[in-house]
Amino acid sequence: MTGRRSKENHTIFLLTVGLLAWLIPGAGHLMIKEYRRAFIICVTIILTFCIGLYVGSIGVINPVGAKPWYIAQILNSPVVAAIGYQAKAGDYFVFGRPNEVGQIYTSIAGLLNLLCIVNAIYLAHLCKIEPAGDSK
Amino acid sequence: MMITVSFILASFTIPEQIGTTPQSMLWLLPLVASISIVYKATKLPEINFGNFIKEAAVLFGSIVIFMLVTALILYAIAWFVLE
Repeated sequence: MTGRRSKENHTIFLLTVGLLAWLIPGAGHLMIKEYRRAFIICVTIILTFCIGLYVGSIGVINPVGAKPWYIAQILNSPVVAAIGYQAKAGDYFVFGRPNEVGQIYTSIAGLLNLLCIVNAIYLAHLCKIEPAGDSK
Repeated sequence: MMITVSFILASFTIPEQIGTTPQSMLWLLPLVASISIVYKATKLPEINFGNFIKEAAVLFGSIVIFMLVTALILYAIAWFVLE
């Protein structure tokens, strides 16, 4: 019974780490006390995303006309959905090379965050396994 | 203060001017740097400043060299086809 509850708690913990890592880049690593990794990931991903937005404007987040890019972009954070809503409401037109560079930067930032989410969950899972291995 | 914040936010609503020139390919360098940094942040067993910088720089150089070699090969193929 205790083992089952522990397993359930562990699953909830892993889900929380994954959700936090998606909400704020690096927060998943922060939760498992990987402070340096969390800082590097947070700064790099947010900076990459902001460069993309600066180059292409918020018009590069287009949930209607550029859905495949939007799927990658929303992996950054749910904040992207709010920016997409704003971009859809206003007239932010962007074409040509600034659009390409902006979309590539923001989407790559999202895909990098996906890598970090998976890594944070994996490290959180190892945190559970390692003490059991040491107790032998 | 509010004027500064408004100015910063407004700069995210107008796209920058980037021409379709060979120089615009240099925009890949910051992206490669961020990919190298994040990848190494997830892969290294321990994050020590010196070792981390070295590993990220090696990965950055590897990606850039690989892309340059690929570009040269594609350029050579295009040259042979067109000549």
